[in-house]
Amino acid sequence: MNAVVVWDASAASHLLSRVAFGGTAKQAAQFAVRTPENIVSMLIEEARAAPAPAKPAWVRDPWVNTERVYPETTPAERMENHRKAGERQTRERNELRCWWLDEMIRTPAPLREVMTLFWHGHFTTEAKRMFVAQPLYTQNVALRTHALGNFRELLEAVTLDAAMMMYLNLEDSNAKKPNENFARELLELFTVGIGNYGEKDIREVARALSGWTLDAPAGTAKRPTVADAGRSFCRDGLVPTFVKAKHDSGEKTIFGRTGRYGLRDVLEIVAAHPATAALVCGKLIAFFGVIDPKNKLRDRMAEAFIASDGDIARAMTVLLTSSEFYSDESRGTLIKSPVQLLVGTCRQLQLDVTATPSLAQLTAAMGQELFNPPDVKGWPGGRDWICAGTLAVRYHLPEALFDGREPDGFEPIATDRNFALPADDKARRELIARIRDFDRQRKAERKQDGFKVTFDPSKAFDGPIPEKPEALVDALLARTVAVALRRDTRATLIQAVAAAPAAERVAWACRLILTTPEYQLA
Amino acid sequence: MLPKIDRRSFLSVGALTATVPGFLSQTGRLFADGPKSHAHEERVLVVVQLAGGNDGLNTLVPFRDDAYYKARPKIAIDKAKSLKIADEFALHPEAGDLRKLFDAGQLGIVPNVGYPNPNRSHFRSMEIWETATPEKDARTGWVGRYFDAECRDNASPMLGLQLGEKPAMTFSHVKNRAVTLTNPSLFRWDTGPVGKSMDQLNSVRPTENGQLDFLQRSGNDMLTMSRKIQEALKETKTATEYAPFNFSQSLRLVAQMIAADVPTRVYYVSLGGFDTHATQAGRHAALLQELSQGLGSFIADLKAMGHLDRTLVMTFSEFGRRVAENEQQGTDHGTAGPMFLAGGKVNAGIHGARPNLTDLDEGDLKYQTDFRSVYATILKKWFNADAKQVLGGDYKTLPLFG
Repeated sequence: MNAVVVWDASAASHLLSRVAFGGTAKQAAQFAVRTPENIVSMLIEEARAAPAPAKPAWVRDPWVNTERVYPETTPAERMENHRKAGERQTRERNELRCWWLDEMIRTPAPLREVMTLFWHGHFTTEAKRMFVAQPLYTQNVALRTHALGNFRELLEAVTLDAAMMMYLNLEDSNAKKPNENFARELLELFTVGIGNYGEKDIREVARALSGWTLDAPAGTAKRPTVADAGRSFCRDGLVPTFVKAKHDSGEKTIFGRTGRYGLRDVLEIVAAHPATAALVCGKLIAFFGVIDPKNKLRDRMAEAFIASDGDIARAMTVLLTSSEFYSDESRGTLIKSPVQLLVGTCRQLQLDVTATPSLAQLTAAMGQELFNPPDVKGWPGGRDWICAGTLAVRYHLPEALFDGREPDGFEPIATDRNFALPADDKARRELIARIRDFDRQRKAERKQDGFKVTFDPSKAFDGPIPEKPEALVDALLARTVAVALRRDTRATLIQAVAAAPAAERVAWACRLILTTPEYQLA
Repeated sequence: MLPKIDRRSFLSVGALTATVPGFLSQTGRLFADGPKSHAHEERVLVVVQLAGGNDGLNTLVPFRDDAYYKARPKIAIDKAKSLKIADEFALHPEAGDLRKLFDAGQLGIVPNVGYPNPNRSHFRSMEIWETATPEKDARTGWVGRYFDAECRDNASPMLGLQLGEKPAMTFSHVKNRAVTLTNPSLFRWDTGPVGKSMDQLNSVRPTENGQLDFLQRSGNDMLTMSRKIQEALKETKTATEYAPFNFSQSLRLVAQMIAADVPTRVYYVSLGGFDTHATQAGRHAALLQELSQGLGSFIADLKAMGHLDRTLVMTFSEFGRRVAENEQQGTDHGTAGPMFLAGGKVNAGIHGARPNLTDLDEGDLKYQTDFRSVYATILKKWFNADAKQVLGGDYKTLPLFG
């Protein structure tokens, strides 16, 4: 299909809603006088040129494991180290979520963050399965660095990375019995996809990937830990390191090709596989909410991806300038992800906001906790974003953003049981009390900063605040809603604004817009 | 558009609200005040998903089988510590409450359940269990089809109720009759003018945009359900103590809702984290303790409140794990595993033989009972439904009920 794209302010506004957390009517008008090709290449250039966000203060280089257990470590010290490490982990995870959210809200190059978010849902790591926070940061840096770069390089950056190696048990996988976890997800989810490999391929890939571990930077003096310490208690560092003696150097047959493959060979093979191009391009199409019923767009993107040896920006250019992207079916039909909804609201209403753990919890309660996807497959997106519980949180957003108040029920009803409790009744009750204390502390820490959000009604408009309810509602809708409204929506909003106290008119209108079905769409 | 109809036939088309938005869905809030249903007489199923692939061999331990100890030199459950429940089977040491249920005649176990040509992907295998359609890529869940086929005269907007974030495929159907919720405290709303406008903005006005119509319906259903949930939780107190963890507390909510006659036939609760590829002993013990204590409290609670005889719990997991342990003292993805059934009317005991650990398929168990036999038994004997229509085939029923 080579239908012509009708490029106007409405098309520009559609583009902004998908790749930039939404824009203003003014921005769309400025875009409309140029060409889509020109705008898309500008957005990609901006994303590539933008300086990297500053490294958070808590990130340590090199990272030091404070939980190592040495022969002379007493049980009391061990407990204390573990407690401190737990506190540090909670604090750092909170700071990490805020760090990224802040970047998304403030960045002048939103496409880069949107792409980083896409890759975060593709090359997943679940924070709940990680006992240290720093790898989640380094993984995020890798995703951002390569977000619009070369797929093969991105794949290697996330594979030889502490987060992935710990999460999918690549760390310490050895020749004797290679761990299949990463090998399976590499083929099933990250590259070629179901139907394009067999169980034998997984076993062979696992062999080729054996021999990697995480260690201190080369040359670091080491102090031996106790013999039976688990990985968390003996790990010396987070630097991916190849240990030849643990690698299976024999021949492997992968996709019918045989050789003495190692990790980089496998990544080469799977990255170049045509099924990988189709899978990645198909996921991009779905993520950006484009309707491509006959996979024609996917095929054109995959062609560009393969021709450029996996240049992600080339595939994205095809996507964002395609007639499918601007077709009627693709407009106003993408259910915003929780992150897109929150960041978009902050940006479009120009809220004066500093990301706090409470703010980060908003997206978590809507079903998208940053750094903590539900499982290795990431967030399914689409209608899966909406269930009674997550929609209720969406409709409670105004209380958080305009009143600075956290509604009840934003946390799961309880914590997970992470270890078995002792059978002895007294010991069990004491431990439960300690877990409850820890949980209370964790929640209190998360909530201590509350919300740092200020809403200035005048900033929600390009000009002065309109006097008439009709004009006020129309101006807000033009800025914030990308979809054709139902007939009664506008009338209901106008009626509510007309009845609102004079000082509250803009706030009421914004509140109610946030609780419309229309606002959930981009 | 609709002819004049009496209340009875009106209720019978209520089942179509999910696909006929407009007029019918606008009446959602009226239904909420309709005549009290006979929910208290109806049977309830509680589906418990063990997500990640539960290690069946360390759950229901074949403690007389040397091959078991040989395949798992480091992680096999110590024979002396395992909890013997039958000649050839013992439970994991942390499953003490499950043994109590077994001894009290409230727990049935079907060992070695699976399906032909097992898939070892979490996602595909979970889909297979939830859709009960291994052969093709089905889009509907087995309970979704049951609701569609058998519950058309039930107007409840929440025939299925799931506690969690990610809607389970078990309920999937174009005519979705299930809701998913995380924390019930979320369902309280402003009662002033802003709240009233919010209600209006979420009444259903059909458009050309399918996504917008989906969101309108979801908003309308959610606000309707909010009141039901608040009423149910206000009125009912549970009778037993539950451990302060997610899964146990979710079961507590389910018990409250069952006791409050919420118009729900099937509940769905998940316990996740079973993907134990490395150093599995500690984590698996914690998970089985949570499962066991959670179900123990739940069954005792329902018994005390007088609802146990109309409640059935069924556990499932997408697969068991490989027979041999791996190098990291964990287990990789495998095939068949046991299912637990608990309730007041269950035939306690073990319904099947122990798996053969010396006749394997590439290191994995060959299943003995097809999971669709368990579903068929529940559909036929528990819900008195047409299992063949729902499952698209005839499956042997098992003697799971008296």
